[in-house]
Amino acid sequence: MQANGQSEVAIIGYGTAGVNAAIGLRTAGYEGVIRVFSDTDIPPYSPILTSYYASGEKTYEECFPWSAEELAELRLEVEAGAPVTELDPEAHLITTAKGTFPYAKCVIATGSTPACWGFPGVEGDEAFEPIVLRSMENAERLKAVLEDSTCKRMLVSGASMVALKTVEACLNKGVKVTLVGMNPHVLDFNALPPIAERFEKGLREKGVELKLGQVIKSVKRTDEGLEVTFSTGDVDVFDQISVSHGMKSNLDFVKPGSLEIDRALVVDEFMRTSDPDVYAAGDVAQGTELVSGQKAIVGIWKNAALQGACAGRAIAAELAGGEPAPECALKGSIATNTIAVNGTLFISAGTMAVTPERRTDLRETDDMSVLCIYEAMPDGGERLVGFNLCCDHDESGSVAYDLGAMLTLRIEAACKKA
Amino acid sequence: MGLLERSDAYWKFAGQCTQCGKCTKACDSLIAADMTLGEIAKALLAAQRGATTRDEVRRNIEDNPQLVQAVRGCFFCTTCKNTCFAHNDVCDLIYNARVDFQDLGLIPRETWSSVLVDEEWDIFTAYRAIHGIGYADLTLHVENDYHDAETGFDAVFFPGCSLAAYGPELTREIFGVFEEFGVRATMLDSCCGSSLRSAGFFERAEALCDRNVQEIIQSGAKQLVCVCPGCANDMGRALERAGITIEVVSLVEFLASHGFESRRPLPEGPVCISKSCQDRDGTYLEQTCDLLGIDAQSASIFHGCCGAGGAVNAFQPERQAQQADSKLSFAPDGSTVVTMCPTCTYTYAYRLMNNPRAIANKHYAELLFESQLDWDLVFYQLGSMWSGEYGPWLAEVFA
Repeated sequence: MQANGQSEVAIIGYGTAGVNAAIGLRTAGYEGVIRVFSDTDIPPYSPILTSYYASGEKTYEECFPWSAEELAELRLEVEAGAPVTELDPEAHLITTAKGTFPYAKCVIATGSTPACWGFPGVEGDEAFEPIVLRSMENAERLKAVLEDSTCKRMLVSGASMVALKTVEACLNKGVKVTLVGMNPHVLDFNALPPIAERFEKGLREKGVELKLGQVIKSVKRTDEGLEVTFSTGDVDVFDQISVSHGMKSNLDFVKPGSLEIDRALVVDEFMRTSDPDVYAAGDVAQGTELVSGQKAIVGIWKNAALQGACAGRAIAAELAGGEPAPECALKGSIATNTIAVNGTLFISAGTMAVTPERRTDLRETDDMSVLCIYEAMPDGGERLVGFNLCCDHDESGSVAYDLGAMLTLRIEAACKKA
Repeated sequence: MGLLERSDAYWKFAGQCTQCGKCTKACDSLIAADMTLGEIAKALLAAQRGATTRDEVRRNIEDNPQLVQAVRGCFFCTTCKNTCFAHNDVCDLIYNARVDFQDLGLIPRETWSSVLVDEEWDIFTAYRAIHGIGYADLTLHVENDYHDAETGFDAVFFPGCSLAAYGPELTREIFGVFEEFGVRATMLDSCCGSSLRSAGFFERAEALCDRNVQEIIQSGAKQLVCVCPGCANDMGRALERAGITIEVVSLVEFLASHGFESRRPLPEGPVCISKSCQDRDGTYLEQTCDLLGIDAQSASIFHGCCGAGGAVNAFQPERQAQQADSKLSFAPDGSTVVTMCPTCTYTYAYRLMNNPRAIANKHYAELLFESQLDWDLVFYQLGSMWSGEYGPWLAEVFA
């Protein structure tokens, strides 16, 4: 039960991946100490629901998927409000402001932080920080802004899922919203033009102003508000600015050179990093992406949960003196995304890369567009490697959802076969 | 990790559910229960928390009618899963919950005593025995009064319990095409065990499938041809579990691969396809449309359960009827509803018998072959079983 004289399991990060690592450990029979390091005093919450909270669709309490009783049953030693400042894999030591903690096995599940790359700052208001959306603190700020009657116009910079959820929150709160994106279409990297265009039509119909193919060139604080000059030369004034320019894995505490890091921590099918006693899960892990077969960050909730649970089970097996069972391996995952903005639904899965060996097939009906991407196979056949779907209405249990699930299953099955 | 045998499955699900609530809106039963899928898992965990005996757990569950509704009211149609952005596996959750419900005595015996399809007598074998429906001459891989056990077959034909019981002529006509194609085939007239799963006998269902696999191995066949997508799923999983590389194909795929041409024209009027909820990725639907010559992209297709799934009929009979009506409402008068799974065909036929409409209800095989399912006869024979000379025996066997 011991490695390097220590028997504790450490989990750095108390989010989806961290909680699921603990669940994996306990359900696999591990009875020892699980010490969780969290950079906040807030219990684990769902980042998925933060925009719903900001827009008033969910209460604060509803953003926490796990009850105090459930978390207590996992018997965790939580070091709350104690950001990890250093992880030393060689010494098996974790350092926080509260002290240094030894571990036998460690799971890094610290997630990611919104990045504001490219945001030029605000002339005349150097302390200005744009709104971002990830944490409960972020959501509370956005909610407060949207409920402030002086906020009439919001500029959302970025065209990703997070940006669009911010747009939805604005719409729900009656705040006029403009979206600026550097690419010609919304849904960066997730949608191909015909589908993105349908989604954009839905946004415009709801009153969203789209400024695509341009960026914020400069921002100046004036008496009227935030005067934004766009790269096209257009100038407009907003009350607030939200930025969603991507996510950055939280790995600053990892001792340089101690673990193999590409875009994130490279992991095997049991979530093991280059150090046999350090695992990673969620947005900090670069596991196998099934369509390409390459290591990639698949930064979605489900993947974080699966990776966390996989790491937990693997650690439990190793600390019990065995090897993780092959059936517990996580062979990989595919990117899946579902988003609905005020009734316009978008679903995607797999890859959006249209390479020479791939073809696209677009089907359109009155209320839905579906674009499938097929890849030629060596045997002369082809396999589905990705799809986009946009539906003009969003109804739980609808054909659009069924179709999205069916196509996702086909991609997964094709990956398995390949 | 707890008094419930399957509590690990609930932990797994609770870990994966973000509680967004989209699933609840996708399902009448979840709306009635006012629960998300994650809340089902959490309620099961709560039922065992602090309890010291299984009796206590049982009482905790009984005292939570919303939980009972959510677990027993599930059709396994996966509409909620499809709506879930994480596609969390509702079937895994509810099957496990049914196992615990069964262990705790929370599923009354009268709701499943006639569908123990791994025993000698169930409703299908009794029906077949009473009405003289047998396939001993076609189950060529098994030694019986007609023949010795043979092996080295190309294919095993698996019609499933509903078609084998209620459509003997159609079953035999389908089997006949194997020989016409030069495919040496035997027939496996067993069941995939779906009714056992629905009743919470998950391991017995798997054991039944495993026994089927052993028969398939003995036959030497390299291909298993299934009429119903649900049978194909269950048998596919059993073959995978056994590490056997035998190809599982749908009957339509098999027929198409041999150049089969339909023996009858398509019916006049609109054709509406009732997609089987067991056809999870829609492959079966596309293959069926292709073989029938229907454009799957423009055809009228309705999704969701016919009402027969998950043994909900035994819990809330009115919901089966409502579900069937809901699905059939998509079909205009004068149309033909085409089903993938013979049990769906049966369910619609039963509903249309009680609530007649000007629509035809056909299994896809009826659109391809000469033989037709005679539901008036089937329902008459099913009803007369209980009042005729075999009534007392049935009452005793299925008590």
